[in-house]
Amino acid sequence: MSRVNELLVTIRKDIASGNGEKLRQWLQVVPEAPASYHEMGQELRGKRDKPLHGSLEKWIEHMIPDETDHAKEGQITAWGGLYAFIKEYLIYWRDADWNDLLRTHELLTNLVNASATAFSYPSGGDILMQTCLALSQTLAQLTMTLSRRPDLLRKAKRAEDASGDGGGDDGQGSIIGRTSETIKKIFTTCLQDRTTDRWTAPKGRKQAVYTFANLVLKLSFACRKITPATMLLSQMASQAPLLNLYPAAQRVTFLYYLGRYWFANTHYLRAAHCLEAAYLQTLPTFVTHRARILTYLIPCNLLLGRFPSQNLLSRPEAKNLAPVFFPLCAAIRSGDFAAFQAHLATQQDWLYERGLFLQLAHKLRPLLWRSLARKTFILTYQPPEDASSRKAATLDLADLQTAASFLQRRIEGYTPSSTTHRPSQGVNPLAVHAARNNANTTLVAPPSGPRKLRSHEGILWGNAQITAEDVEMMVAEMVQQGLMHGFVAHGQGRFAIIGAKAKGPVAAGWPTPWAAIADRKYDQYYDQEDVPGWVKA
Amino acid sequence: MAADKPTETPAAAEKKPEETKTAKPAALGEDDEFEDFPVEDWPENETEAAAQGESSKHLWEESWDDDDTSDDFSQQLKAELQKVEAGKRK
Repeated sequence: MSRVNELLVTIRKDIASGNGEKLRQWLQVVPEAPASYHEMGQELRGKRDKPLHGSLEKWIEHMIPDETDHAKEGQITAWGGLYAFIKEYLIYWRDADWNDLLRTHELLTNLVNASATAFSYPSGGDILMQTCLALSQTLAQLTMTLSRRPDLLRKAKRAEDASGDGGGDDGQGSIIGRTSETIKKIFTTCLQDRTTDRWTAPKGRKQAVYTFANLVLKLSFACRKITPATMLLSQMASQAPLLNLYPAAQRVTFLYYLGRYWFANTHYLRAAHCLEAAYLQTLPTFVTHRARILTYLIPCNLLLGRFPSQNLLSRPEAKNLAPVFFPLCAAIRSGDFAAFQAHLATQQDWLYERGLFLQLAHKLRPLLWRSLARKTFILTYQPPEDASSRKAATLDLADLQTAASFLQRRIEGYTPSSTTHRPSQGVNPLAVHAARNNANTTLVAPPSGPRKLRSHEGILWGNAQITAEDVEMMVAEMVQQGLMHGFVAHGQGRFAIIGAKAKGPVAAGWPTPWAAIADRKYDQYYDQEDVPGWVKA
Repeated sequence: MAADKPTETPAAAEKKPEETKTAKPAALGEDDEFEDFPVEDWPENETEAAAQGESSKHLWEESWDDDDTSDDFSQQLKAELQKVEAGKRK
């Protein structure tokens, strides 16, 4: 018997016995499949010259006849969508060429589309659930491979432009978009299955809702395209069953991607809720998974003003993360922009690869400014000698400008000239001498002039110098965000602390950042515990 | 395939080394994203989530301010502030 016939006989048997898992095992598409699949491909190619399409369809119908009239009650029989799917499967093996990934991707997309249609058939289509999942996983994997091949993406874009249907911004966009749409068809079929409602244990196709959602989300993040995730999550929010009705692996995976989604959208509170739930629900033995979750959970909390504790950093999953994040925490604690930038530069590639760099480089600045203002106050504040004095505790904004300018120069390569610090090699001793006599700074300019900074490296923007207006605006911004408690006395050029008498000036002027963020008030009602996309009871 | 070996399951067929094609493993690529878990489910009481918030309390440090001014950075900053202040008085 030919290889094609062998396969069709087996499919007929598995359909009749309702064995979806067996079907999945038979309907392989990976190039590592046993030799019999490749022989089947050769056999089909041998018939290429004949009018294959028409005859192939008839042959499938002949081998897997529609036995509705003789079927026992509840027995699944062949249907139109199944024929179209099997035909696409045979065409896939006939034409797949793993040296031509674009062509293989196209064939696999057609196959998964056909499987989606067959799967949506109400009387028995769900037998293809495992098959659809396996095919979708392979398609997602191939798409992720393609997304890392700019040469192939360019080729795909050229082909689309030539055929006039290139709607995407680049080859990557359209390939990922097509794959996401294809897998989302299966997801939507699962979501709209009416076997069970949203609030009871899922049955039928509903069981696979989060599995397919996780696959689309994985694809979105691996290919750095967030649009498919946005559309999927909005569908989830309105129709998906409760997350806690699903097995732990699916829950944790979903919460991980939902957390990354909100992180990418700079909503760190929502992201932290999801990622922390994912972390706590993962068994401590899954160290790699926990490490992956912490990679985003730690930055989320940094941005919310919470640092990882020593307890957390000493856990096995944090072993490789502590050297990345601990120095950032130390720099934020003291308001040392220069140390912050220096450490960020050493970790740039690692952070950039994970989509963390730009957020950390820009969004941690308010905390750095807060600590710098606090430190400047501690270094300059002279409490009144008379304890009953009603004079307000204030920070001179000119001092904060001095501190910020000092750090900007340090980032630009200036070095301290003080006797306690040996000037760096190559620094002209005359310049050191001149600096020591300079009334304006303790720093010595680098011999080759200030280092040219990229935009994110400067305290404000590249080499921009810090003016009094910048400092006043920054302090006003921190007051607005609740990170400093008081008001700007514009006329005096000072920040005046409110409540210094009761709490002491430092505690009153600089509330704990996490408490300030958690207590923030909003114009409209906002439930901090609510995370769109996370369906809770 | 099964037709000429009726007792052979697909899984057994996959295991046969002579039938397994190992060429072109790069076609479907490696992925470095969140891996699939080796098991589908596990009991909640074996996780930290079972502690209902207690376990998460010691994960984060909320009060981390640094009042120490004896470190190098604080000393350099102090020297700068004093020098600029002294310069203003001249």
